[in-house]
Amino acid sequence: MRAGVIAVALFAACEQPVVKQPPAKLTGIRVVDLIPASLSGESWQDAEPFLALYASNPKLMAASAFTPNPGGSTSATAPIFVSDDGGDSWTLRNTLPSQGMTADITHAVGGNPPVLYAGIMKVPDFPLNELKANDFFSPATMTLQASRADIDQPFVRTTGVGNADRVYVGLNDFDAPDGRTATVDVSLNGGTSYTSHRLETRNTLGQNGPSIRPAVAQDHTVYVAYFGWRSNAGSDVTSDVVVVRDDSGAIGATPFRDLVDPSDHLPGRLVATHVTIPWSNAPTLGQERIGSTLAIAVDALHSDNVYLAWADRVGTGDIYTVHVRRSTDRGATWSGDLRTLTNATDPSLAVSTNGTVGLLYQQVTGSASTSRWVTRLEQSRDGFATHQDVVLATVPATTPTFQFLPYIGDYNGLLTRGNQFLGIFSANNTPDSANFPQGVVYQRRVDFPTHRLLDGSGAPVAVSIDPFFFSVPVLP
Amino acid sequence: MHTRSAILLAVALSLPGSEGVAQMSRAALVKQSDIIFIGTVTQIGAVAVPELPASARTVVVRVDQVLEKPAAVALTTGDSVTVETVRAGSLKPGIQATFYTTGWIFGRGVAVREVGHEPGQSPVVAEAQQQAVSRARFAVNDAALRAHIQSAAMVVAGRVDQVRPAELAAAPPRPKRITEHDPNWQEAIIQVQEGLKGAQAGQRVVVRFPASLDVAWVGAPKFAAGEEGTFLLHKDSTTGSPLAMLAGQSVPAYTALHKLDVLPRQDAPRIRSMITKP
Repeated sequence: MRAGVIAVALFAACEQPVVKQPPAKLTGIRVVDLIPASLSGESWQDAEPFLALYASNPKLMAASAFTPNPGGSTSATAPIFVSDDGGDSWTLRNTLPSQGMTADITHAVGGNPPVLYAGIMKVPDFPLNELKANDFFSPATMTLQASRADIDQPFVRTTGVGNADRVYVGLNDFDAPDGRTATVDVSLNGGTSYTSHRLETRNTLGQNGPSIRPAVAQDHTVYVAYFGWRSNAGSDVTSDVVVVRDDSGAIGATPFRDLVDPSDHLPGRLVATHVTIPWSNAPTLGQERIGSTLAIAVDALHSDNVYLAWADRVGTGDIYTVHVRRSTDRGATWSGDLRTLTNATDPSLAVSTNGTVGLLYQQVTGSASTSRWVTRLEQSRDGFATHQDVVLATVPATTPTFQFLPYIGDYNGLLTRGNQFLGIFSANNTPDSANFPQGVVYQRRVDFPTHRLLDGSGAPVAVSIDPFFFSVPVLP
Repeated sequence: MHTRSAILLAVALSLPGSEGVAQMSRAALVKQSDIIFIGTVTQIGAVAVPELPASARTVVVRVDQVLEKPAAVALTTGDSVTVETVRAGSLKPGIQATFYTTGWIFGRGVAVREVGHEPGQSPVVAEAQQQAVSRARFAVNDAALRAHIQSAAMVVAGRVDQVRPAELAAAPPRPKRITEHDPNWQEAIIQVQEGLKGAQAGQRVVVRFPASLDVAWVGAPKFAAGEEGTFLLHKDSTTGSPLAMLAGQSVPAYTALHKLDVLPRQDAPRIRSMITKP
């Protein structure tokens, strides 16, 4: 087993990835600003976007960001975006039971009719709310399924089994005993009831990292990635990067015990150990905070294949470095770094039906006033020995000045359906074609020749952070 | 006629089907609304936005004049707005009214939910209605401020002498959690220059506030040394540690977490007046 790991690692280290330089503009790519025309005066920091797709109807999508109810902070509801034309246009609907905005939100879809499940931190007081809408196009407020306090970063994934939806909500549960806070709330009955399952089996510094990320395959294999925070020195956390697996949808009494580490025979494969996580809840990387960046994706049709990305500080002068690794044997062994991306964050992964992996990330290039946030989608069919690189956006990293944190998000979103990668990211919304090499469509009112945003009356609007939907054809 | 008491008088609504809001004052309508406009009903059982199905409760209204709206919302005279009415059949084509609404669906156009409507002599005199709504909004804001004053344990005009990390000595016996939503409690030491309620000039007060830049705390006022203001202070029931240390003494800690809790220094006379003449 060890020899296998080393061999893979050496191969990855010695291979120089061959990067196909992208043409100026590829065909079939869409980038769409989600802010609708009727909110053209909007200048909020719409960070931390997320996306949900319906397998049953490719036209239907839901999206979210830290977008407030336009009615203000005392409004009883917060909004989500919905699209019924495959992402070409979006509307904002105030259907979340949270005062004006949420403090965290992710969501995923169920079966037919178009059910939507959401996990939010509700405003005020920030309890977890596990929500459901039987028809996400309904203007009705989403229904509360479960709630409790003292949690962080709910991250929702779903799968359908027969007529029932299974819902997996990764979250950091501060009420978990012994500082083993990495948790997945599992519902096997479409959100009617949830059971909390603890993932961590080792000692921690008192808690796990905020990011707990599930991924579900069609054969009901469920992987979950989390940070095993072991110790800290000041704001630097020493962490393991851990993956657990359940082979039967987490329906048993003690799920997520199917993948053990050979070093201690405990559940949870240690993909990387003793990495340094710089916890900085202040503008640190292009005005963004850093400290808990984690993504996992499984090949839905071949659950042996799973990809993992996380960020840490390597210590070579980097601020934050994203690592991407792969397992082809159900998490038992892992490659070395397939991609190592300096001063990057917000990796999101997805694996298409033909096995192509997509990697979305956002990276700061340049320095000081010339620095830029560059948003890229990379695709590879050979474990990143070669890959296609698409720049979706390259925007100033110093403007606009942050209104709060996260600046662009602690995460973004990437999914796949059919022959498309579909995703969402947040970025500076200046209507400048040079910032969007693949083109961009605004719904809100803009004037491209002058690079100005305009409100409903034609008056200039300040540049801000907007969520952008995109679709990119999967490599054939 | 333009006094507060006049404003708070119930607006007599005369249309059939508007009984549900007949008892609501204009101020009550304004309080619940974020988009207010004068408009003329053009269609009933119809919608002006493709994202919403028509129903017996949806009507299309042409905007004659926008009286209030959030800055983000693009809504101008001549636009057609879809209104989900409180009750089906309460409006007829051709009727002009002032619509009190909340934003509902924002796409190529705007759909709103009716809080109530106020029919007028057609045509509605826009200037008079604008003034009436403005007065009602003033009254609503005034009432909200009075409620905050009422609920405050202490109201002072003063200056922030110092900001220091909060020591939450009586916090529950649990480990400090590392989370991006950590409020990062700080303590502002305020030198009271003028005691308006529950305090005296010369007193020093400890006010806790979240210094966190996290989105969860984006609306909470932050304090800086040297800052002057009029402060509505509430006993600290948020941090779990109701007492603070000041000059070696255990003293009550306060919070000011709402935007109305921190006002300009020059508002002190107005606040004093509101306290003495409730």
